[in-house]
Amino acid sequence: MTPTSSDVDTRQPTPDATAPAPEPTPLTGDLLICLTPLPPEDLEATLKNLAGAFPEQQTAGNGNSNILVAIPDAAPASSPDSVLSTAAPDSSPLRLLHYSSSSTALFLTAADYLNAFKMAQEHNARACILLGPESQTLNPGFVRDLAAALLGSSAADLILPHYRLGPNNGLVNSAILYPVTRALYRQCPRFPQAIDVGLSLRMAERLAMAAQPFTAAGQNDAILWPVAEAASANWPVAEIDAGPRGLPQPASTDLNALLSETAGSFFSDIEARASIWQRVRFYQPGCATPETPFSTGTLPDVSPMLEAFRVAYTNLQEIWSLVLPPQTLLGLKHLSLMPPAGFRMNDELWTRIVYDFILAYRLRTINRGHLLGALTPLYLAWVASHILLTGAGAAPEQHIEDLAATFERDKAYLVSRWRWPDRFNP
Amino acid sequence: MLQQVHFALSESTHRVLVKLASFLPGLLALLVAVLLFTLIGAALAALVRIILHSMRFDERLSRSNVFAGNANIQNWSLSHSPSVMLARVVLFGCVILGIVVGISALDASYSNNSETSKLLLPYLTHAIGAIAILLAGNLIARFLSRSVLIGAVNARLHYARMLSEGVKWLVLVLTAAMVLDHLEIGGTVVDLAFGILFGGIVLTLALAIGLGSRDLVSRSIEKTAERAPDADPSAPPPGGEPGKPPIPIDTLRHF
Repeated sequence: MTPTSSDVDTRQPTPDATAPAPEPTPLTGDLLICLTPLPPEDLEATLKNLAGAFPEQQTAGNGNSNILVAIPDAAPASSPDSVLSTAAPDSSPLRLLHYSSSSTALFLTAADYLNAFKMAQEHNARACILLGPESQTLNPGFVRDLAAALLGSSAADLILPHYRLGPNNGLVNSAILYPVTRALYRQCPRFPQAIDVGLSLRMAERLAMAAQPFTAAGQNDAILWPVAEAASANWPVAEIDAGPRGLPQPASTDLNALLSETAGSFFSDIEARASIWQRVRFYQPGCATPETPFSTGTLPDVSPMLEAFRVAYTNLQEIWSLVLPPQTLLGLKHLSLMPPAGFRMNDELWTRIVYDFILAYRLRTINRGHLLGALTPLYLAWVASHILLTGAGAAPEQHIEDLAATFERDKAYLVSRWRWPDRFNP
Repeated sequence: MLQQVHFALSESTHRVLVKLASFLPGLLALLVAVLLFTLIGAALAALVRIILHSMRFDERLSRSNVFAGNANIQNWSLSHSPSVMLARVVLFGCVILGIVVGISALDASYSNNSETSKLLLPYLTHAIGAIAILLAGNLIARFLSRSVLIGAVNARLHYARMLSEGVKWLVLVLTAAMVLDHLEIGGTVVDLAFGILFGGIVLTLALAIGLGSRDLVSRSIEKTAERAPDADPSAPPPGGEPGKPPIPIDTLRHF
C-alpha cells in the first residue's frame, strides 16, 4: 500500500497572516530537499549553503524549477524564511516547507524516509534528497551535483555520497557495513548507511513502504538499508564524491549499545533478504575508490582496545566457542598472544568472524543481545589492528578495499553455511 | 508369640501388596497417558512445523510489524525460530495434558478415602511444580550469568567471570531453596541454609568487587585530582614541548 500524506504537516509560508486566506495551492517542485532537525545556527548555515548551491533559476525539463526545502517544525518559525531571503535573491529556486519531525538519530530513520516520500508525493517532486544531522558541514557543490544527478544526468535511483573522512573515522562502516554490503549485494558504495542520500521518487516510495511497518509499530528511529532495498528491486545505485563532512555525535557514548543496534538491524536485514543476496553472483564493475588522506597526527591509543580484547579472550571463550569454528578460535588465540606493537588481525580471520556472527544471528545459536555484545571486543581488536597497520605505513583505504575483496572471496562460505548449517557446524 | 509375629508380618505384607496392586494400574495408566499424549503432541508439532514452513511463517513474521515493533520478542525467543518455538509449545502442551490426564486416572484408581491418595497426589503435583521452578531457575540463571559476563567484559572488568558465576550461583541457590520449599522438604533448615548461603555469596561478591576495584577507584581519584592543573588553558598539552605547536591526535570515530 502506498503511504498517504495525511499525517505529514506541511505548511507554506504565508506572506500576510491577516489577509483573507485564499485556497492554498500546494507548492510544486522538481526536487525536495529534506533536512533533519538541526540547532538554529546549524539550520541557518545549512540554508545558506543550499542558497549557495542553487544560486539562480535552473530550468528543468518541464520548466518547473522550484527546489523545495523541507525543514522540521522544531526550528524557529520565522528564522529560516528570513535567512533564505537574505542569503538568496528572489530568483533563488528554493522554497521552504515545514514538517513535523523530532528525530535525533545518528542515521536517517524510517520516519525520515516516510516523511520525505509523503512530501515528495504531495508536492509532485521528481526526486528527493535527505540531508542528515550536521548537514551544515556539507560542501554545497556536492548537493548541487547530487541534485543534477537525480534530475537528469544519472539513471540511478539511489545516489549515495562518498565522504572523505579521516582514516580513523566511520570504522564500523569500514569494518562491517561496507565490506558485507559489497560482498552480499555486489554494490560498492563506500558508505551504504550514508547520512545523506538522493532518491528517485520510486526509490523513495519503496523505502517509505519498507518504513511503514516500523513507524506503525512506533519504531520511528528504526534503521533502513537503502542499498539492500535498491539491490532487491534491481535498481541502479550510484555514488558521488562528497568531500569532507562533519559526523554527527551519537546521543549515547556506549559503543556496545550503538554497535548492537546497528549490527542487529543490519543482520536482521541480511536475514530477511537471504533469497536475494544468495542469487547475486556478479560484481558490478566501476567501483572507484577515492583515496582517504593519510593521517598526519598522532595515532589514537590502541592499548584500551587491546585490553578489552584480552579481557574478553580470557572470559568469553565459552560464548565464542558456540559461535565460532575451531580454526577461528585458534586464530583468536594467536591474536591474544601477540605483542601490542605487532598486533595484526588478518582479513581472513575478521571475515570469518563477521560471517559466523551473521550465521549465529540467523540460527539464534545464543540470545541475540548476548551475541552482539560478544562481537564488540572482537570489533575493537580489528580497530586496533587497523590503526596499527595504518600507523606502520599502510594506506587505510587500501586496507579497507583488501578487506572488502576478502569478504567477496569468502562469500561462498556464508552461502554454504546459510543453506546447510549443520554440515559445517563448528 | 512366633505365630503372632508371623501373622502380623503376613498381614502387613498382604496389605502392602494389595495397595501396590491397586496402585500399579493407576501408575500404568499415568505412563500410558503421558506416552500417548507425547506421541500425539509430536505428531501435531511436526504438522504445525510443516504447515508453518510451507507458509514461510518465519520470513513473514520477521517482515511483519509484529516483530518490527518489538525486537525484544526476537531477543527472548532464545535459540529457535518462531515456527520451531510454536511447534514446541504444541508438543509440551500435549505432554502437560497427558500428565494431567494420567494423574486424574491415578486418582480414580484409588478410593476417595485412601490415605495414599491423599498423600501422593498433592506431592505429585508439587513435584511437577518443583520441576517447572527448577527449569525456569536454570534458564534465568544462565541468561543472567551471560548478560552479566558480557556486560562486565565490555566494561573491561577483569573479574567478569567471577561476577557472572556469582550471579549464576545466587539464582541457582535461590531456585534450590524455592524447590525444596515447594516440596516441603527440610522445613526451617532450608530457610536457614538458604539465608547463610545467599548472604555468604553476596558478601563474597561484595568483597571481591570492593577489593578488585580498589585500584580502579584510586586511579579514578588520582585522575580527578590531576585534572585541576590540566584545566588551565595556558598549560602545555601533554606530550607537547614549549614553543612548538602541539601534535594533533587523530580522532577515533566508530560511527
